[in-house]
Amino acid sequence: MPDNWGYVFSAYGLAAVALLGYWRRLAGRAKRLARPAVRAGNVRQG
Amino acid sequence: MAARALGWLTVLALIAGLGAAFGYAPREAVQGNVQRIMYLHVPAVLTAYLAFALVFVGSVGYLLTRRAGWDRLALAAAEPGVLFTGITIVSGSIWGKPTWGTWWTWDARLTSTAVLFLVYVGYLLLRGMVDEPDRRARAAAVVGILGAANIPIVHFSVKWWRALHQPSTILGPEPSPIAAPIAAALLINWIAFTLLFAYLLAKRMEIARLEDTHAG
Repeated sequence: MPDNWGYVFSAYGLAAVALLGYWRRLAGRAKRLARPAVRAGNVRQG
Repeated sequence: MAARALGWLTVLALIAGLGAAFGYAPREAVQGNVQRIMYLHVPAVLTAYLAFALVFVGSVGYLLTRRAGWDRLALAAAEPGVLFTGITIVSGSIWGKPTWGTWWTWDARLTSTAVLFLVYVGYLLLRGMVDEPDRRARAAAVVGILGAANIPIVHFSVKWWRALHQPSTILGPEPSPIAAPIAAALLINWIAFTLLFAYLLAKRMEIARLEDTHAG
């Protein structure tokens, strides 16, 4: 049977994209939640 | 600090897994190099089983105690569980094309895995639809418990029904017929995926805890 490297790299590549995408999404959410909330009363005008 | 250490340990384990899959493991005699997809496909499904077993534990824990921590465990396990099931389905489909000649067939294993995926996508959608925390957690727990019934169906489907998918070569009743280097590469990748899952679970649980704190 031919080696079909294209299929192998597609499978690993798609998995890497999905896992990295999820990890980045989690990291972004954690960063947003860790940031102190900006309250409307604290915003200075002008 | 512990999460960071787990993260770096996971990175090292994944690098070792790739080295084992592409360097250490030999070219398979019948399928050739396309068989290397197995080092992704099998650990992904085993990790998904583990994730959904934890959804079950968290769901039962919540219904018994009504403590939010159990619900957070169930949620934090469900998301990566869906991700790993998706990776299982896509990698299996890519492996199926050169070996079976088709991307997809309504075989018992493939169909039950697709149902497993849809049940837990439904679980996550349900959580997004209910605002009241206790009602959301109770409804999700019921789905989390019922959904777990699908795990043995997926695993034993190749035994119970005639299937194109090969029977279980690991976690089966008979000793595994896999050659030692292939089994070792599979084990290293299984450990790497389990560490990855533990890292994602810890991170997602921390986010859920912060979200609960912010919600007041």
